[in-house]
Amino acid sequence: MKTIKLLGLIVLFLGFASCSNDDDITETLPVESNLVQNLHAPQEGEQGQPVFGEFVKFNFETGQTTTSDTDWDIALRGTIILINGGEKTGIDDEPNRTGNGSAYIANGTMGSVISVDASRLKEDTVNSQAIPTGSGTGWYIYAGSPTHLITPIAGTILVFKTHDGKYAKMEILSYYKDAPANPDAFENFDKYYTFNYVYQPNEGDTSF
Amino acid sequence: MQKLFLQTLILFIFSLTYAQEQTKDSTVVENLEEVLITATRTERQLSSLPLPAQIISKKEIEAVNSLRLSDILSEQTGLTTVSDFGGGEGIQMQGLDSQYTLILIDGVPLVGRSAGTLDLSRISVGNIKQIEIVKGASSSLYGSEALGGVINIITEKPKFGFNGAINYRFGTNNTHDASATLGYRKEKFSIDGFFNRFSTSGYDLVENDFLNTVEPFSNYTYNLKANYKFSEGTNLLVSGRYFTQSQEYIASEELRGESSIKEWNTHVKLNHKYGEKWSSYFEFYATNYQAEEFLNDSEELLFSEGDFNQLLIRPEIRATYNPNDKNSFIGGLGWNYESLERTDFSTKPEFNSPYIYLQYDANPTEKINVIVGARFDAHNEYQSQFSPKGAIRYEINDKISVKGSVGYGFKAPDFRQLYFDFTNSTVGYTVLGYNQVTTRIPELIEEGQILNVVVPITEFEDELRPENSVSFNLGSVYQPISELKFEINLFRNNIQDLIDTRVIANKTNGQNIFSYYNINKVYTQGLEFNGTWKINNYLKISGGYQLLYAKDKDAEDAFKNGDVYARLTPNSSSFQLKKDDYFGLYNRSRHMVNTKVFYTYKPWNLNTNIRATYRSKYGLYDTNTNGYLDDYDEFVEGYAILDWAVNKTIFKKYELGMGIDNILDFTDSQNINNIAGRLFYGKININF
Repeated sequence: MKTIKLLGLIVLFLGFASCSNDDDITETLPVESNLVQNLHAPQEGEQGQPVFGEFVKFNFETGQTTTSDTDWDIALRGTIILINGGEKTGIDDEPNRTGNGSAYIANGTMGSVISVDASRLKEDTVNSQAIPTGSGTGWYIYAGSPTHLITPIAGTILVFKTHDGKYAKMEILSYYKDAPANPDAFENFDKYYTFNYVYQPNEGDTSF
Repeated sequence: MQKLFLQTLILFIFSLTYAQEQTKDSTVVENLEEVLITATRTERQLSSLPLPAQIISKKEIEAVNSLRLSDILSEQTGLTTVSDFGGGEGIQMQGLDSQYTLILIDGVPLVGRSAGTLDLSRISVGNIKQIEIVKGASSSLYGSEALGGVINIITEKPKFGFNGAINYRFGTNNTHDASATLGYRKEKFSIDGFFNRFSTSGYDLVENDFLNTVEPFSNYTYNLKANYKFSEGTNLLVSGRYFTQSQEYIASEELRGESSIKEWNTHVKLNHKYGEKWSSYFEFYATNYQAEEFLNDSEELLFSEGDFNQLLIRPEIRATYNPNDKNSFIGGLGWNYESLERTDFSTKPEFNSPYIYLQYDANPTEKINVIVGARFDAHNEYQSQFSPKGAIRYEINDKISVKGSVGYGFKAPDFRQLYFDFTNSTVGYTVLGYNQVTTRIPELIEEGQILNVVVPITEFEDELRPENSVSFNLGSVYQPISELKFEINLFRNNIQDLIDTRVIANKTNGQNIFSYYNINKVYTQGLEFNGTWKINNYLKISGGYQLLYAKDKDAEDAFKNGDVYARLTPNSSSFQLKKDDYFGLYNRSRHMVNTKVFYTYKPWNLNTNIRATYRSKYGLYDTNTNGYLDDYDEFVEGYAILDWAVNKTIFKKYELGMGIDNILDFTDSQNINNIAGRLFYGKININF
């Protein structure tokens, strides 16, 4: 997995602009916009059989995967996405929730989802994931026979509250290694996530 | 095959140069008024009808050397044959799917829509007098299925004396079509028999797999019809038809078997005239359609089998009353009994549906014709349907007339949509009929086969509603001179409660469970244009065009509200789609065009024709997984089919013919499985 710190695309100078008062020394950090390529989230067990295996955990602040039991925001295995908030859903080998994370699925583009709708945020609970797994119910469509492709649903933006109360939005672009333009479920390796995300590092700021 | 074709060509050219006795055909049979029965269930002149209707004559069918009903229908304006996943070739009319067009033979319906489509290639056109097409909802006379329109195949009546014909056509893909008719008619009695055998070795558009696109098959049609005139006013018709087909069924390298169809129809009709004003018809019709298939594995052990056995029995009485020249009434009373046994059904469902209809046809002045009618269908499984219709025609002058009609049409949910319980044995997906969902889903959850339920089963507690439509047609016929005719028709079908399939649950094997549901609102609208020009006694040119917009209203709203997104490639960022990006329903082409040139050279007893049909691009799937067909999906590209035929009569009784279908050799192995590529053929007819 490699993380490219593309650019601090949208730099919010709101603080600076309004900051005529020198006493106000709270520094506003720039919003980070990044592309993650080939985050490998393997699972064991075949499709249709019980699946198991350790989840791969990701932290939005560092933009890296982590093995920490606490400092993670989302955990991925196959098509499953868990968040570090709430309680165990009952899936085999899932990590303990230690943080305050929550999530929801927004309709829009990375450009159009510009703030968090806090009322829609949900935690993982028993038998229920904040980001559901399943074709057409979460972030992807499974085409079934004959192509068997897993395709991220266009216009689906995943909005997260991180384990430590910051916000991030994410658009998954591909489930296949190297994000081919025309993936082939039989040729390309799957369970390799490529996604864009925007991280809002300022505590309590719900805008992107 | 090509060699055989060349031989025919040589024979043909030889027969052309052969010194013919130059018999001048002096019989004047031109401009006989075309009469049809389908539009009103009474004989009516085509030109005087207030409804959009069309007749395909035997002459045209013979000139283009059609074999099956699908061949000839696909060349008509606004009609296109679409293939179903079950393999059948159905007809799309005014942008409505094939299950919404009622197919009749001599006024009584064919059954056997195993996957919704009535396979038109089942029907041989060898003994057809004419094909009548009425567009627009016609449930006011015909009840269920006549939502988009009605196609009625009128079989030939024998000529006086003893006569018959033998026809044989052979062509590419080892296609052989042989038929024989034998007829006898005297004053009071007539009988005629028809036999047809069709066989083909099929064809393969995709190499490197074990399947053919169409596996070899052969079928037989037998038809026997007798007519007895007790008196001037009393007539009895008894008719029977039997059809049987068998085809190789290959699912994979290991799994091989056979599929077969057996179908019979019996039709008895007694009509009696009570003086000038009243006449009555007593009709009894029964038909049975059976389809069976099996697959064996490599060790010849039975892997899977399926059967489908549908029975329809319909007694009907109807009466006509003509108080005077200007007014006529027709009314009918009947009962449909229908049952189906099917492998993937948990029950043997039965439908009982009594019905009544009445129609009034009036000419208040010479220039105006009005038809109003209605029908009431009661049903044991879904709510009763009342289907009214009204139509008016106004003749502005000798050259121009306008006509308009409004009608209600419906299609009852079929057995499959209610009772299906099917799991594909090789792939593993499941299809549940609407009435099965509330019991089967909990059972499947219990068995651990369900990963998650997408649509809650509480949505299946109400009845599935019949699909219904209100159709509007507004047209004009303009005939500046007798040789030149233009027709235009604007149509709009507002369809409600359309039944479609959707995923209702995901299975643990990675496949889905599908069931049926009522989509809220769909419409099809457009215009149809036809022009015919008889340049002289030798040359006739005709052309047709249909413009079509077929859209789902909910989808339109979703685009309008900006709820739909797409990506340029599967790995790029998504963007919002605009209202104009919505293309419409699947498998609908915006433009369909046909042009035909018929040339007759009487001194040589020769006729030839060249026909072109074009269909613009259409979408088959939502390829970018946003749930809608939009401009960023992959489309099936537009295509044209060009056909040529030539026929020559020698020694009066013999006819030789040949031709090439699909001259441009168009195929699309990915998307279109019912277009085989270029086909050469030769034919011979003997009349006696």
